[in-house]
Amino acid sequence: MKTRIASCPIISQESITDRIQRLVLHCPEIAGAAKPGQFVHVRVHPSWDPLLRRPFSVHAADRKNGSIALLYRVIGKGTAFLRSLGNGASVNLMGPLGNGFRLDQSRSRALVMAGGLGSAPAFFLIDRLLEYGRPVIFMWGTRSAEEIFGLDRFRVAGVEIHLATDDGSLGRAGTVTGLLEAFLRESKSLKNLEGFVCGPEPMLAAVQALVAGKPLRVQACLEERMACGTGVCQGCAVRMQSGLYRMVCSDGPVFPIEEVDFGG
Amino acid sequence: MAVDLSVRIGSLVLKNPVLTASGTFGYGTEYSEYFDPSLLGGIVTKTITLEPRAGNPMPRIAETPAGMLNSIGLANVGVEKYITEKLPLLEGLDTAVIANVAGNTAEEYGVLVRRLSGLRRVDAFEINISCPNVRKDGLAFGMDAEATRDVVRCVRSETDKTVIVKLTPNVTDIVAIARAAVEAGADALSLINTVLGMAVDIETRRPLLARVTGGLSGPAIKPIALARLYQVRQSLDVPLIGIGGIMTAGDALEFFFTGATAVEVGTLNFIDPLGSVSILSGLVRYCEGRGISSFSSIIGTLVLES
Repeated sequence: MKTRIASCPIISQESITDRIQRLVLHCPEIAGAAKPGQFVHVRVHPSWDPLLRRPFSVHAADRKNGSIALLYRVIGKGTAFLRSLGNGASVNLMGPLGNGFRLDQSRSRALVMAGGLGSAPAFFLIDRLLEYGRPVIFMWGTRSAEEIFGLDRFRVAGVEIHLATDDGSLGRAGTVTGLLEAFLRESKSLKNLEGFVCGPEPMLAAVQALVAGKPLRVQACLEERMACGTGVCQGCAVRMQSGLYRMVCSDGPVFPIEEVDFGG
Repeated sequence: MAVDLSVRIGSLVLKNPVLTASGTFGYGTEYSEYFDPSLLGGIVTKTITLEPRAGNPMPRIAETPAGMLNSIGLANVGVEKYITEKLPLLEGLDTAVIANVAGNTAEEYGVLVRRLSGLRRVDAFEINISCPNVRKDGLAFGMDAEATRDVVRCVRSETDKTVIVKLTPNVTDIVAIARAAVEAGADALSLINTVLGMAVDIETRRPLLARVTGGLSGPAIKPIALARLYQVRQSLDVPLIGIGGIMTAGDALEFFFTGATAVEVGTLNFIDPLGSVSILSGLVRYCEGRGISSFSSIIGTLVLES
């Protein structure tokens, strides 16, 4: 699959909260090729300031309509500019980049965990898992209830949903790792279960510690600042337990969770 | 009208004056799925050291206004793997391959060049005496005229191929360093390497780079690069390769007028992998639009008040 660099028209853009945006773009080739866990590298601003592209996980890919959705938090000048763009404006994308989650022919239950905007790749992953007919358990933790959205279609599809919010405004008070801890405590067996986790590094580190030594295979989707997004600049290195560095953009962003050294 | 784009750097003839800067184009084929590297005048490959280097701790990059800081730490596969695994990928490319090397000692530079000089696919050398990310204090051979002279002597005695010495801007008198390099046998100079820089997160009060300081690149440094090129051009008569924040053909022209014989495109590759070929087409259009048949005729044509 060749990576594309393309100027993609905006189909729609909506505010989920005052900081979180959902952007839908027309890009049939990327929509057709993207796999869960992959990302697109977005030129958020046409000038040289801000300079670098921003990596955004593919949040949804609609092969029929040739569209992809991205989810992003408005943090600085670049994302504020991106939010200001309306329908018909175009955004320059490179992608799909990186390696997605490995989805084999397994029929086992999928335990998908997301922290905050880890929901960006997690939603796409759940869509594909459901297409493959796999039972899905989804654990999602956010800051507060207003950042929880878009779960209706998963409920209809029979996904078992567990929610946590930092402020306790919805679901369990605390983080998604609290949900995992309770789940592991209550589960008699972890057989026929496969884990997937997307979120910030402290959350991934906590999940790694919780599943260490347990018979549960977990793939983690890492977030990292990037420049090139293609493995060339060597900027987004992550240290592995082996002591070697791997690149989040081109070797990942998905790694077996036990292989990552979150202390490094 | 066909424009003759060829330029000469020492004994090396480039079919056009657009090269990619070391560290921004991998080992030469990483961007092949976006365009054919044979379109370029040359590729300067990632800095190679004698032994493989894993690179610096994270975070290694940070964005600054119109620029980026990096502290990669010359992560590379080492010279042996470069020869056995990376150079063969460049066979058949119709472009110059310039091997960029760095050593811990002057002698090590010589050893590296001796190891590579006999290889057909290496057309020239760029000597990196200017990386700010190797020593903790950000110092480099290229900050001292005597150290520069030692390195270039060691290299010169090992090869007849073109030797380009890459200069750092992080010095008081760049002309003194440039002169030392030329006196010791450099055929050409490339400038500038990154500018020592730093940024701080005001929430955490931590530096944005794990190594605190790093190298600034991108449009933010273009005026610095031009001024350094101008200073060296005024004092020395050797081919110069301009580097620093070149994002458009117009940026490149500023360097050519100031006296660069070729340019290296760096940070732009990260933002637009096709950027170097866009610059090349822009230069062709510029020449065609003005009836310029020989590109080299525009080099050093800066108009100064007399």
